[in-house]
Amino acid sequence: MSGTVSLLGLDFGSTTSSAMVASAAMVRNCVTGRVELSRLAEEYRSVPVFTPLREGRIDEAAVAALLERWLAEGHLQGKEVFGGGALITGLSAERQNAAALASLLRARLGDAILVASGDANLESWMAFLGSCARLSRRHPEVEVLNLDIGGGTTNLALGIDGEVRRTGCLFVGARHLQVEPGTYRIVAVSRYARALLDHLGIARGPGDTLSAEDVDAVLSFYVALLEAAVTGRAEVFAAPIARLHRHTELEIEPPASVAPAARVVTLSGGVGALVYEHLRGAPWPSTTFFGDLGVDLAERILSSDVLARDLAAFVPDHFGRATVFGMMRHSMDISGATVFLSSPDVLPLRDLPILGRLGSDAEPGRVQALLRLVRESPSGGCLRIEWTGPTLAAVRRLGAWLGDELKARPLRPEQALVLFVAENVGKTLGQYVSDWGKSPVKLVVVDEVVVKDARFAQIGRMKDHVVPVWVHGQD
Amino acid sequence: MEKVTQALVPLSDIVVPPPRPSEWYRTTVLDEEVAFHGLKALLGAADESKAGDRHAGLAAKSARQREAARTLLSSLSLRHLYDHPLTDDDGNVDSVMRVNYGIDHAVFAEIASMTVGGLKNHLLRSPGAESARVGKALTGVMAAALAKICDVHELIFLARRIPRPTKARTTLGLPGTLSSRLQPNHPTDDLRGITLLFYWGLSVGAGDALLGINPAIDTVENVSGLLRHLDKLRRKTGVPSQICVLGHIKTQLACLERGAPVEILFQSLAGTEKTLTAEFDVTVELLDHGYRTMREKGTLGPSARQFMYFETGQGSEFTYGKHHGIDMTTTEALCYGLARRYDPFMVNNVTGFIGPETHLDNFEMIVSNLQDHFMGKLLGLPMGMAPCFTLHSHITLEGQQMATQMLTAAGANYYMDVALNTDRMLAYFDTSGHDDQTLRELYGKRVTPEYEAWAIEQGIFRKEEDGSLARGPNWGDLRPFVSSDAELKGLIATTPALHGFETAGPRPADEVSRQVRLHQAVGREATQSALRIDEMREILDFRVIATEAPSKEAHLHSPSLGARVAAAHRAALVPEHRQVQILVSDGLSAEAVHHNAGDLLPVLEDGLNARGITMGKPILAPNGRVKLAEDVADLVQCDLVICLIGERPGGDALASRSLSAYLVYCVRDDETRRRAAAFSGNESVRFEYTVLSNIYAGGLPPLEAGGVIAGKVFEVLERRAAGNRLEALLSS
Repeated sequence: MSGTVSLLGLDFGSTTSSAMVASAAMVRNCVTGRVELSRLAEEYRSVPVFTPLREGRIDEAAVAALLERWLAEGHLQGKEVFGGGALITGLSAERQNAAALASLLRARLGDAILVASGDANLESWMAFLGSCARLSRRHPEVEVLNLDIGGGTTNLALGIDGEVRRTGCLFVGARHLQVEPGTYRIVAVSRYARALLDHLGIARGPGDTLSAEDVDAVLSFYVALLEAAVTGRAEVFAAPIARLHRHTELEIEPPASVAPAARVVTLSGGVGALVYEHLRGAPWPSTTFFGDLGVDLAERILSSDVLARDLAAFVPDHFGRATVFGMMRHSMDISGATVFLSSPDVLPLRDLPILGRLGSDAEPGRVQALLRLVRESPSGGCLRIEWTGPTLAAVRRLGAWLGDELKARPLRPEQALVLFVAENVGKTLGQYVSDWGKSPVKLVVVDEVVVKDARFAQIGRMKDHVVPVWVHGQD
Repeated sequence: MEKVTQALVPLSDIVVPPPRPSEWYRTTVLDEEVAFHGLKALLGAADESKAGDRHAGLAAKSARQREAARTLLSSLSLRHLYDHPLTDDDGNVDSVMRVNYGIDHAVFAEIASMTVGGLKNHLLRSPGAESARVGKALTGVMAAALAKICDVHELIFLARRIPRPTKARTTLGLPGTLSSRLQPNHPTDDLRGITLLFYWGLSVGAGDALLGINPAIDTVENVSGLLRHLDKLRRKTGVPSQICVLGHIKTQLACLERGAPVEILFQSLAGTEKTLTAEFDVTVELLDHGYRTMREKGTLGPSARQFMYFETGQGSEFTYGKHHGIDMTTTEALCYGLARRYDPFMVNNVTGFIGPETHLDNFEMIVSNLQDHFMGKLLGLPMGMAPCFTLHSHITLEGQQMATQMLTAAGANYYMDVALNTDRMLAYFDTSGHDDQTLRELYGKRVTPEYEAWAIEQGIFRKEEDGSLARGPNWGDLRPFVSSDAELKGLIATTPALHGFETAGPRPADEVSRQVRLHQAVGREATQSALRIDEMREILDFRVIATEAPSKEAHLHSPSLGARVAAAHRAALVPEHRQVQILVSDGLSAEAVHHNAGDLLPVLEDGLNARGITMGKPILAPNGRVKLAEDVADLVQCDLVICLIGERPGGDALASRSLSAYLVYCVRDDETRRRAAAFSGNESVRFEYTVLSNIYAGGLPPLEAGGVIAGKVFEVLERRAAGNRLEALLSS
């Protein structure tokens, strides 16, 4: 098989927003038997634009127009999008109407992409996969710690050989202090910056101009936090002001080895991109060009031995502008080619809770308990089936238990049951559960997908016998 | 440049003598008269005995009869052969035969009175240039007649003296060279796997003749994508060669039209018009069009003197039942007479590819290869050779290697590079880059001059002080072509049947060879394996029937026998009018049945029972082929036969356990027949097929296959359709 699909990635950050469109071929790996996305080709990458804001809120009308422009420029108008993702990150995710933006994107794009808002761990993950995964695989001998520094947050992800091992997030970013471009006259102060200024004894607010010492003090604090995160010095975060800037637990330990290259730092995000552009010879943009401290922060990072030591030697893909790419490419998984669907129109399904797991040792009582949870969820739910090398007897038995329970206590018509199974046995399990298609249950069995610890799942429409699967709300 | 329209003589301008009634050819051996009716019979009997000719009833019945036929053939004049064109079953001269008469008549006038034996003596006594000159005056039939009276030394001696160099981007076939076509085929056209095999081939000095893929999917989109990928790899590595994706000629021309880099235009040829048109969907007019289009628009432009590439091989006309009573060697020679019209850059002979129904063992394969190489060279073609085999024949790697030793002595222009001899897409075994290098070293051969310079720069080869070419420090190492271990790992992860890259001299390291041979042995054993009926009856209550194949050997060597229920068992299969009939047969691997049936059949039976679908008692048929399903369907009068049958094993041991499920739907009622006929364009359509293949632990596991097949059966019965018509109904 070899079908071509379109992928879309969207990134609404604190400062800027951007879009990317790629085409990919769905190819069956004849060694593993799995369908994979291959021949990924970037078809369109938008110019980053300032995230549309109006009176402190995301300007939904402007975003809608922007989205139409991107879809037109990416030649996606009237074309089916197979998958991808949209990230609403940093300060944008904290805006009052972030949820409205998510709804707008979903309304326009259907359920063909995952829209994630304020999921810091997912952002860290995507930034690493989009930016450093290839670099990390090329250097399996080192830990790669990626700092995705945007306007509102710094998302950290530590990975080895292309695999993310740890993630974390700090409220360290360029845009906590907004200023008039070309000056240091304050326009807006985030609540984190307010606390920091107070902590530093800087009594300034909107309308005031930051002195060079003020800027230095703020940036020193930021860089100290980043260095502490990179070196795994947990004690630094014991101070209340540092703890306030910790968005999620870091759990990044000190490097395991003292060897100079044991852990290398890479950057991504808007500030990261500024650093790499400068390293490639570009002059710094003019003073506070973006209306924030991004340029200053980039300069300070370059003067930090801890942060800048490996930047020239370990350069990530796209010079760090890759979160959107990561979101587009890595936010979803692809099912096996023998998915069971009780009817073709059962998909797409969005934000179904993952309610538990059924092991090979499960008893009928466990099946009943989990299906009770599914019935109590308004739109139904998902169960993870975990067994090793399922046998005919095991499939028949579990199929019968699930089928009997669903017959005795049916789901409501608006509810769906999704079963995730890692092995290639989805169609047969679905046949048994549905009594070979005779049961009215709205059932989807997705096979060959390993669902990590996550709270929700989204399943897109079928294309060439496979479906895209997103899970989010990782623990 | 010569005007295109003048390059090809119009078919109507080629003069062919009118067909004549068949003559009797008689001779006496001691006191016994031996007689042959017609030239076709004489030509057939004069050849070495080969499976295809035996099945066609053309082979001599005895050595004495063969030698009598050779004696008669040897005594015929070339004029006699010229005056007796071979005809099709309707007595007509077909277009392939007509093209064969496009000869140099001035030279023919010089030799017309020579007998075939006299011509052989003349060529043996003359310098090689004379063979090249005379070859232009010969038809395919004359070349075949000559080949049939040559022994092995003569086939090698005569061919060796006829160089046939050609030039596209680079020069192929110069004296002293032995080139190779890199064939990085992948079962799913996965570009990562193709890339790996491409790099691997280059690392062992392969690909100087051509970088060419047989596509798994012959669509314009896919073939264009493959062409662009090959072009990208060629540019990236800088390797001086030419690229080709061996899709159908129509597909390639459409790719060219859309701007894809079609440097060399490929097409498989056949020696009868009926095979060419009905089976290959090609006419002489289409080939003319392709040739002209390439002359005008081919990607290599005017710098390429030649740009066509043909593939042939003894036996295709027989296999398709369209040989018109002409033996395999002669139909092959007729292919060459057709290929010659287009002055090709290369011709590749794949005798042995089809299987034991045409070439049973090493001897038959080797002799045919030597004949083909000689006939091709004599008729003016740049012959590359691919002595090859499938695991259900008796041909072995040893036989293949013997063939290449002799063909190298005979001056073959090039061989294939199929990594570790194992074609991952076509499930057959060909020569490898390691073989090519071994032969170059044994016979003091070199690659093309352009490639040699590049490969020395890459450290793949090095020039010795005496000017000879040796393996360089990077020979066999594909890491210089990849940017990191991670990239290599990714490429490896998508490529099947990799048994290691290590080398020992020009050969794969022993541990690698052991793996290759072990996998082949398992696959070959699977073809010989028999169904264990008692074990199968523990799974389902089977009734056992026999086919017309009386033995495993007969089954493997005569595909048609396994397609019919044996006469003694036909009476037991009476009309039952059930919806479904399950039919299980070994096909080409009983092991495939045994490794899958235990999980698959109970699931399938559960599904059919759950839906209340009526079933006849399951049938187990040793020595069966897929077409047996149609015979069974006619006898038991069911709606659908689910035929589970073992696939042809390839080079992966696990895959020799691979089963296929053919859902054979019987188009019975008038309305369904009308719809099926309208969809297919075939008014006489009786059956529609849906196929689910690759059922084994490494592909579609049998437990899952049971559910998948059951689901597909529900759809077939509900929609009263199968195959493409069913898919069209479902998608609408």
